Formats: sequence, C-alpha cells, structure tokens
Amino acid sequence: MNTKASGFEEVAHTADLEIKVWGENLESLFIAAAEGMFQLSGIEDYEEGFSAVREDITLDAMDYEGLLILFLEELLYRLTEDYMLFSVEKLTINEHFSLKARLRGTQIRSYQRDIKAVTYHRLNIQETDSGYTVNVVFDI
Amino acid sequence: MVSISDLKYIRPCEWEIPRSYRSDMRVPVRIFATPELLKDVSRDKSLDQALNAATLPGLVGQVMVMPDMHQGYGFPIGGVAATRYPDGVISPGGIGYDINCGVRLLTSQLTYQQARPYLEDLAEALNRSCPSGVGTGGHRQFSIKEVEEVCRKGSAWARSAGFATEQDLRRTEEGGRIPGADPRDISPRALKRGSGQVGSLGAGNHFIEIDLIERVFDPQAARVMGLEEGNLALQIHCGSRGLGHQVCSDYVKSLQSTVERYGIELPDRALVCAPLDSPEGKAYLSAMACAANYAFANRQVLSHHAREAFESVLAGRVKDWQLSLVYDVAHNIGKIETHLIDGREQEVCVHRKGATRAFGPGAADLPSEYREIGQPVLVPGSMGTSSWVLHGTEAAMQRSLGSCCHGAGRVMSRSQAKKTIWGEDLHWELESRGITILAGSMAGLAEEAPAAYKDIDAVVDTVVQAGITEPVARLKPLVVIKG
Repeated sequence: MNTKASGFEEVAHTADLEIKVWGENLESLFIAAAEGMFQLSGIEDYEEGFSAVREDITLDAMDYEGLLILFLEELLYRLTEDYMLFSVEKLTINEHFSLKARLRGTQIRSYQRDIKAVTYHRLNIQETDSGYTVNVVFDI
Repeated sequence: MVSISDLKYIRPCEWEIPRSYRSDMRVPVRIFATPELLKDVSRDKSLDQALNAATLPGLVGQVMVMPDMHQGYGFPIGGVAATRYPDGVISPGGIGYDINCGVRLLTSQLTYQQARPYLEDLAEALNRSCPSGVGTGGHRQFSIKEVEEVCRKGSAWARSAGFATEQDLRRTEEGGRIPGADPRDISPRALKRGSGQVGSLGAGNHFIEIDLIERVFDPQAARVMGLEEGNLALQIHCGSRGLGHQVCSDYVKSLQSTVERYGIELPDRALVCAPLDSPEGKAYLSAMACAANYAFANRQVLSHHAREAFESVLAGRVKDWQLSLVYDVAHNIGKIETHLIDGREQEVCVHRKGATRAFGPGAADLPSEYREIGQPVLVPGSMGTSSWVLHGTEAAMQRSLGSCCHGAGRVMSRSQAKKTIWGEDLHWELESRGITILAGSMAGLAEEAPAAYKDIDAVVDTVVQAGITEPVARLKPLVVIKG
C-alpha cells in the first residue's frame, strides 16, 4: 500500500476523538482510517510467536460513508471481541459501494482505550485535488 | 457558528435561541447557563449541535441544553428533547451509544472517623470485587439465554439471581426495568458482547467512588434519603457496556435508509431517527429498553459486589457498614412521559443525552418515600472534585421537562488534557489531598483530569439558581476506582 499520499492526524474534540484522514484513492483512505482508529485504541502488546491468520471480508452499503463505517466497525468488533488486530493486504471498493478485503490478523494481548463506536457525525468523504479526505469522530 | 450575542435572555440562568434563527428549526433552543459558563459553551460546537437537534420531526416545546453541555456527535451532551408520542421521532443518536449510562448512590450509617483506618483495605477490596478497565469483563461468562433474560428484566433479573433487594428495585428509575424489551430486536453481536460484561465497570469516565457526606443543605430531604453529614457513601457510574454500544451502532446504521423512506431531512446523519409508531421506531424502542435494562442490572450487580467488599473488610470490626441504595438514575435514555407542554398535557418521548431526570414532588413514578421531596438527582463531579445530591422541583416539571444536568461536562479535549497533564503528577496531587486513586492507566487518568472539566459547583449552582433543582448534600471523594 502507498502510505506517502495517505495518512491521518488527530483533531481536537471536547469529549470524543476525531481524526482527519486523507488518501489518494478510496482504498488508501479506508486503510488510513483503520490505522488511525487502531492508533487511538492504543495497541502496544502483540502476541509473540502467533502465526497470522488471513480472512476475506465483503461489505455492502448505500454509499461510501456507510461503507467506511461498516469497515471500521468490523475491525473494531474483532479487536474488542477477539483481540485481533487486522492489517489490510488487499482492498477493492467498487462504484456500487461494495468492498472486498483480504485481511491479515495478529493476536494482541491488550489495548489501552475502549472506542465505543464509529459515528456518522458530519461524516462526509470529499474529493480533493490529490484524492479523498474525511473526518471521523469516534465515541469514547 | 452561534455566538453569545444571538442568545435572548429569558430569566437568570436561562437563555433562548429563537426558532427564527435558522429556517430548518422546528422549535427554539433553551439554554441553562450563567454568563460565565456560556463562555465555555461558545468554545465548542455544542450550540450548533443543539440547533441541529431542533430540526427533528415531531418536536414539542423546546430543545434544552444543560449547563454541563459540551460537543458530542449529532446531539450535544447535556441535551434534552421531547417528541410527540406516537407520531414524533426517536433518534438513537439523541440517547447515545452508552444507552442508560447512569449513576447510583448508596449510603451507610458508618462515620468517616470509624471507617478511616480501613479505607485502603476498602479500596483494594472494591477494586478486586468490581472488575474495571479496558477489555475487562465481569466475573463470569453468561449464556446468550441469560443475557436475553437480563435484557428483558433488568434489575428484576438481578433480584431473582440474589443481587438485589426489593428496596433496590423501588429506588431505581423505572424500578430497574423498562417494559417492552424484546431481545429479538437486538443483534447476535450485541448479545455476544453482553455475555462477558455483566457486573463490569468499563473504562473512560466510569468510576466507583467512596465519598464522605461532607455537607447537608436540606436536612429534611437528606434524612429521607438516609444521608447524614460525616458518613460514608458510595457512587457507581457506568452503563450498558458493549451491548449498548452495539445496539446504538446497529440502529444508527439501519436507520440511515429509513429517514429517506419517511421523507425526513436532517442536517447531520448522526441524528437519524424513525417515527415512534413505525416498525423501525418500535424496534429501536424495544432494543433501547433491552440495553437500558442490561445497564440497570449491571449497576445492580456491581452494587452487590461493592456490598461484599464492604462486608469482607468491615464486618465484625465496625457497625453500620451496610450500604443502602439512595437512588439510581439514567442519564442517556429516551423515555415515554407525560408533560405539560404549551399549556396542555402531552405524551412525549423525552430524549436525555447526558441529562438526568429530575422529577418534582408528587410525581407518580417516584417511590412513596420520595414523593414529598421530589426525585433524588445525582450529579457526580469530575475525578477528585465534589459530587452533588439534589432533588427535582415543580419548576423543573414546568420548565425543563423534569430534567437537570448530569455532571461537570468537559471543556478540554482528551488529547489536550494528555499534553498538559501528566497522569503521574495528577495521581500524586490527588493522593496528597487524601484521595486514594486506583486507575487502569495513567494516560486514561490524565484524560479525566479535573482541569479538563467545568467546575461542578458552578454547574450545580446554575441549575439551582434556575430553580430546576434544590441542593440536598455535597459529597467529597475519598477513594476513586477508575477503569
């Protein structure tokens, strides 16, 4: 994945956590958003000697914003329920708001922060000169 | 962005943004705040979020915001909004992800002086018996069938499982059980997330605290509530854990398409909603009741474990260590209530998001012992600062839909708090003030630093000056357990 043209940064929010995410295409935007969420979760301890698992997921939504929420929620659910940290090996998003991903999961021992939810608050994926950008607010 | 000059003065501590301010508003916004607190408000987007909330279909009266308001997602925290029942809407985002996050207060007849030598032991025992922290569940795994039972029955489940007394149920809002909870309306994921977390505190701003009843302001009401100056009390603040978060996430997602079907236009997708009498609205009401009941049961099981901790440390050493429940209030919830609005009695769905019910004297929903004084209102302060016990008033019934503030309210972002405050320094400072702190993480502690919150005394002073509550007692923290 190309990280040069994608990334995220934390934006001040009084009570919750907000990140600004950018990517040169939708795929890199989604991946950067996931990385941002995992950073906010404060994952420090990886389980050593654990052979990584691969999983394929398919998600469908009504629009790209809905798809981003589904994608992040899926990763968050697996983190909090199964202590699995997933990275994305392959990701494709089509114009029918369908996402296919090949994920690589690693077992973690702990994380530092409970994220209650990924919110729809002012969620709006915007096209820019260099790709896409979106702000995501997480309820803490 | 709304500026303070846009506000119309109504009476001391009460301001209004008229409906004419924005063309899509259906009702005005009423703000309870002092000029001083308004300065904090204007620093974030809470008022703009209140204006957005004022666009929901079927709203009646006014959208209200309490002095502890701060920016949330969709609705502001500290918001109260009533929609006509049954043709108005219900909005999951107007209730929050932590459905029935709430607080309960238990009190004892044990004096601080008697308890003092045992406080460290009590802190340790509470920390052991009441699981807390990120990713930490309850003492045992529940089957899905059991979780469904908890969702259906709430505190009544806890009573049948030996975790509650009859008095506990009577002194819990709604008797600890909201009717109409059908677990078929919540997802398998929500149930699964709930299976390991019954009787667990969680993290974030949730806490268990041993307090000293420092000062009584209303001796008669305090006597009825069993609060005596110099005695020990205990607060528990938590909610419906992963089950509630999942319920809200599921419905905010599924209702995205519903709004279009019902022709509802919204300024923010976090406000999605459905008519209360639609299949979608009914399903959410039922799902919300499931999560609310889970939260009531959760706080009840934690109370049981706290009582066990007190017994293990104090029994045989001192007398009067027993903890009796004063009251349990929800501060993230939607309730079907009847209020006098615009001169007539109306059945409405009151959304309280970071706001506490504060029914005045005579309200039929109150246990008989509180009917004369009004509902106990519990307003916890930020970590290391005072908490307040208040009671509801007739003015609250007339002017704030029987509602009041729920806490101090944040003013500083978490990242800013972590940048400016070291958890270790804060820990030292609180310990040096005689407060024992047991916290899951130092970074988490810094995020919850008192400096990141408004002054609780100023917030309480505002709702008292506004007349929507009366002070009963102030509590001072002695032991704080944070996730």
